[in-house]
Amino acid sequence: MSLPVTTPEMVIIGAEAKTKDEIIRTLAERLVAAGRVTDIETYIAAVHKREESMATGIQGGIGIPHARSAAVTAPSVAVAISHDGVPFGAPDGPAHLIFLIAAPDGADDSHLQILAAIARRVMRDEFRDALRTATDPAFIADTMTKEVQQ
Amino acid sequence: MKIVAVTSCITGIAHTYMAAEALEQAGKKLGHEVIVETQGSAGSNPIKQAVIDAADAVIFAVDLEVKDRDRFAGKPYLQVGVAKAINGSVALIEQVLAAAADGTAATVAGKAPAAPQEAPKKADSNEPKKAGFFGSLFGKGK
Repeated sequence: MSLPVTTPEMVIIGAEAKTKDEIIRTLAERLVAAGRVTDIETYIAAVHKREESMATGIQGGIGIPHARSAAVTAPSVAVAISHDGVPFGAPDGPAHLIFLIAAPDGADDSHLQILAAIARRVMRDEFRDALRTATDPAFIADTMTKEVQQ
Repeated sequence: MKIVAVTSCITGIAHTYMAAEALEQAGKKLGHEVIVETQGSAGSNPIKQAVIDAADAVIFAVDLEVKDRDRFAGKPYLQVGVAKAINGSVALIEQVLAAAADGTAATVAGKAPAAPQEAPKKADSNEPKKAGFFGSLFGKGK
């Protein structure tokens, strides 16, 4: 059985970070604490490299920074809700819902399918709305995991 | 109308799938059938050749080269970066269908494999306009 893609400790509701770099680091720290990332600097460097090629903000107040890295132990997604919003390069304003995706290097297809399923759901209004209005990290973790894993 | 699309992105773990979802949703909204091949990291789901052959238009929303692009040879198409499909999928579908309908769409070069039709004629052919795509269907019967 695979690990849940998100656990409550990987969720921050009311994140206070003001910048993209800050929120990425804050979420990455949660992944480290959860044992999903072994080396935070290696992982963050990979995320930043991805952001440099194209910012990952999308319409609807979403930021979806992500990277594959050897420093990642299992497919994981840390989630932050920012009430003030964090600039993520989207044309319509800052991101209020941020998904930091971590994929292991050389993971097999079945592992990455979980992340693909999350990416698809991020585009669905009902999924976004359920997460945006959540007040409990456990609910967010549960919603993320339940949607894509048995 | 029927549209087939290919999506891909640099890391192959997020935008490929977000774009696929956006295109499928836009298709539903507009009442068109949209079938997407995600050329990402989570394995591939090649579209059947018969489905490609039956499509009215092709969208490549890609940050990488389309794998086995020959499969789409002769089809009117539009190629954009993957981000464009995420933030503007409805407009993209309308644009490619309009271009396919009025014959202004570019067609995918090459020769489709095992397709029951000829590769498209050169662009300098004198056939009636709009022949690029529709003309290719006349080819050698089944």
